[in-house]
Amino acid sequence: MSNKKIQMIPKIRSGIVIDHIPAGDGVRILEILERDPRMKNVPVTFGMNYQSNKLGAKDMIKIQKDDLSERTIQHISLVSPGVTIKRIRDFEVVEKVSVQPPHELINLLKCLNPGCITQNEPGLKTKFILTDPARNQVTCEYCERVFSIHELSPII
Amino acid sequence: MKKDVISMHDLTLEDIQCYLKTAGIVEQIPLEERFRLLTGKIMASLFFEASTRTRLSFEAAMYRLGGNVIGFAEQGATSVSKGESFSDTIHTVESYSDVIVIRHPKEGTARHAAQISFLPVINAGDGTNQHPTQTLLDLYTIIKNFNKIEGLRIAFVGDLKYSRTVHSLLQALMKFKVNEFMLVSPESLRLPEYLKKVNMGFPVTFVETKKLEDAIPYADIIYMTRIQRERFPDDIEYEKVKDSFCLNANMLKSAPEGLKVLHPLPRVNEIAPDVDSTPYAEYFAQAKNGLIMRQAILLNIFEVEI
Repeated sequence: MSNKKIQMIPKIRSGIVIDHIPAGDGVRILEILERDPRMKNVPVTFGMNYQSNKLGAKDMIKIQKDDLSERTIQHISLVSPGVTIKRIRDFEVVEKVSVQPPHELINLLKCLNPGCITQNEPGLKTKFILTDPARNQVTCEYCERVFSIHELSPII
Repeated sequence: MKKDVISMHDLTLEDIQCYLKTAGIVEQIPLEERFRLLTGKIMASLFFEASTRTRLSFEAAMYRLGGNVIGFAEQGATSVSKGESFSDTIHTVESYSDVIVIRHPKEGTARHAAQISFLPVINAGDGTNQHPTQTLLDLYTIIKNFNKIEGLRIAFVGDLKYSRTVHSLLQALMKFKVNEFMLVSPESLRLPEYLKKVNMGFPVTFVETKKLEDAIPYADIIYMTRIQRERFPDDIEYEKVKDSFCLNANMLKSAPEGLKVLHPLPRVNEIAPDVDSTPYAEYFAQAKNGLIMRQAILLNIFEVEI
């Protein structure tokens, strides 16, 4: 059977498709969507381990909601940089972007250092700078510790 | 735009060279002339953590420039101990002063203060993170002794994990293209990996050893540090390593001429008193340079032409 004939998850009339998710990352993106209160009662379908020429295997998420918040998109870009977000209208792709982590990550991640002022001063927003995109490394603007993005818990 | 001194990361090589040059000029100005340079200015000295040298040298620096000082030497004497937030303390103090000097046990506090205050803020130590004025005075001491920085061989000894003076100085030395360091520490106090990951555009070599004797024939500068009891989560771990290294005059008998021993002070047992009278001891002169460098920093912040 050729790849083209594999049944993908059903098309949606209108909403958002997150595509080109490296296999395994889809679950982590679902966790982000689940934490967003605006996603309550929104129908979401999730496909795992589809064949992909580019990635070998990929996950895909279809969301029947017209948009995602900028914060949610930023969180997605942190857990799985390079995924494609497509906007769908009347079954057609009307917009398509590949998401990359922002240079400055404001209040998106919690600092791991218990001695950091962001862990000790109520209301102070965290700020990380993406200092090494190739290695997914960020530096806390306050305590100046260097972390891998995947070490840090998201602030949703 | 106000000038803050928060982290060595913020300072370019040119900025650092400017401070070093200013310190050299300040040192040549007679005391009675220096006394007129900051008349009428008030420095808020906010020490949420104990300090002797840094606090006293900042305060002496300000008084000897003709300025005045308000502040506190420990958190217990402030409204913070009554539950006042840090930001409220800063906003209150900025009504009474022209510059804020802050030491705090939490990392990033000086940066936070600089963000919320309209006054210039100087970091006098934030947890285990940065201590930029110590670094600048260390560099000034090095320049005074060697007339250069690039190409020097520097051994850091002791607590390389928690010592912010080591962390700050190491990063600054790399800006001067120093590309090889000897690191002498017990296993549990090794330099954190994140400090070795810095991409300077040239390879940097770290020679790690547990023997202080290895540093003596190697180095132009031995930078000793205290094992800091207050940074340890429990006393047992501190007791295991507290006397790991002790430099004495006998060990320095074979030292190369020109070797200098630096220490940010206070010392406990890591340098024996018999080293004080050797030509290698530079730590008290280093402490004296602290006052000069802090005057240079204050004058730079207030844009006083000298």
